[in-house]
Amino acid sequence: MDWQAFALSLKLATVTTAILLVVAVPLAALLVLGRSRWLAPLEALAALPLVLPPTVLGFFLLVMLGPRTAVGRGITALLGHPLAFSFSGLVVGSVIYSLPFAVQPLVAGFAAVEPALVDAARLLGATPARLVLSLLVPLARRSLLAAAVLSFLHTMGEFGVVLMLGGDIPGATRTLSIVLYNQVENFDYAAANRTAAILLGLSVVALAAIYLGGRPRGGRRA
Amino acid sequence: MSSRIPKWSLAGLLSLAFLVPVNAQTPLRIAAAADLEPVLPPILDEFRQATGIRAEATFQASAVLATQIQNGAPFDLFLSADLGYPKRLIDAGLADAAGTADSSTPIVYARGTLVLWARKDSHLPPPSLDLLRNPGLKRLAIANPDRAPYGRAAVAALTSLKLYDALKPRLVTAENISQAAQFVDSGNADAGLISLTSALTPRLASGGAYFVVPRDLYPPIEQGAVIVSNTTQRAAAHKLLDYLLSAPVQAQLAKTGLTPVH
Repeated sequence: MDWQAFALSLKLATVTTAILLVVAVPLAALLVLGRSRWLAPLEALAALPLVLPPTVLGFFLLVMLGPRTAVGRGITALLGHPLAFSFSGLVVGSVIYSLPFAVQPLVAGFAAVEPALVDAARLLGATPARLVLSLLVPLARRSLLAAAVLSFLHTMGEFGVVLMLGGDIPGATRTLSIVLYNQVENFDYAAANRTAAILLGLSVVALAAIYLGGRPRGGRRA
Repeated sequence: MSSRIPKWSLAGLLSLAFLVPVNAQTPLRIAAAADLEPVLPPILDEFRQATGIRAEATFQASAVLATQIQNGAPFDLFLSADLGYPKRLIDAGLADAAGTADSSTPIVYARGTLVLWARKDSHLPPPSLDLLRNPGLKRLAIANPDRAPYGRAAVAALTSLKLYDALKPRLVTAENISQAAQFVDSGNADAGLISLTSALTPRLASGGAYFVVPRDLYPPIEQGAVIVSNTTQRAAAHKLLDYLLSAPVQAQLAKTGLTPVH
């Protein structure tokens, strides 16, 4: 068992989830509360990574943000190294790739909050930040949990982006799903079984936790 | 939401799938090592003009292809970049070299050459063995040594030079030799140990420079071919192998960065 890769995957998933919650909560609130007609394209953009092949994302990050473009040179100057082959590069890729998994549950959760409550809070003079943090987030806490768990698991299982821009560096970009791929390609099916079992077990436990958490005794909540 | 999408647009999208012409003859499917990617397509075109047999190649690291064949991938011919993976398939009873003097040994069709390649606009001096000792070399791309014969040759060369331990933290490992070249070409790695076949492609030849790694630094990259045993097109596969080994095609290989076998 490659514990270094396991730790790296956990770290990548944790950092990605933390960034995603900070980004996705205001974004989802904007999509639910906003009135502008530009919100539809924005929502589509936020959902794009769901249908976008990860290879497209990997290619953009590798070439468009590589050291041969102006943007890429800026990033290289900022980080001291190119995005590719680095942990920070994987974080950027993962945040984009898992964005819909954070945004969509939050949009559903915020939209389910009684509109009368939102109107009342507005009438009482709540700022948008207060509205989101004191009303929407507490009432949609199950959606917040779902967003966090889904983002975390989706990042744990991320493969295509990492394969395209990771460079398989132990401790920096060799994640658990890359280790699994390496083990299969190297005919080490016994080790691959153990790695796959860990990824599978983690996913089942976390998903079961979400669904159990959202199901009070007596039946499913609306 | 679905009510807003006209039904015909979906039907139109689905019908696109049927517009792709389906050819009656099943093409010969070739699993080819990634170093053949710049070399093989024109040869397959000429083969088709000469024989009427259509052949399609899939390029990947040799071990990846071997795994796929082991798991039943529908290939007819396997052109590896080494002898080990085809031999493994022969030993597993999945491939053979029937029709040759020794049917249990892969047929050597070419030898590969390892080069150090870097972009011309690199801030580092042009490729040489000294470049490998240059502290400014932050990232050196190689193919995965566990599954790409050129990657194994790269590690062997670095080990012979006693540079492997020093360079190990700076190595970036690509899936196959084409991706290693692409890591360097896109500017993400400073230099790469790649195949001469990649270095001689128009794009890499014009954008960079290469240095031939001395051949005594790594074991020879002998590239072996085998026929996948449950092929339904054995005769066609043999024809292609004979074509590859013919004098004119071998001479053509020499121009593209492979060493002919005779």
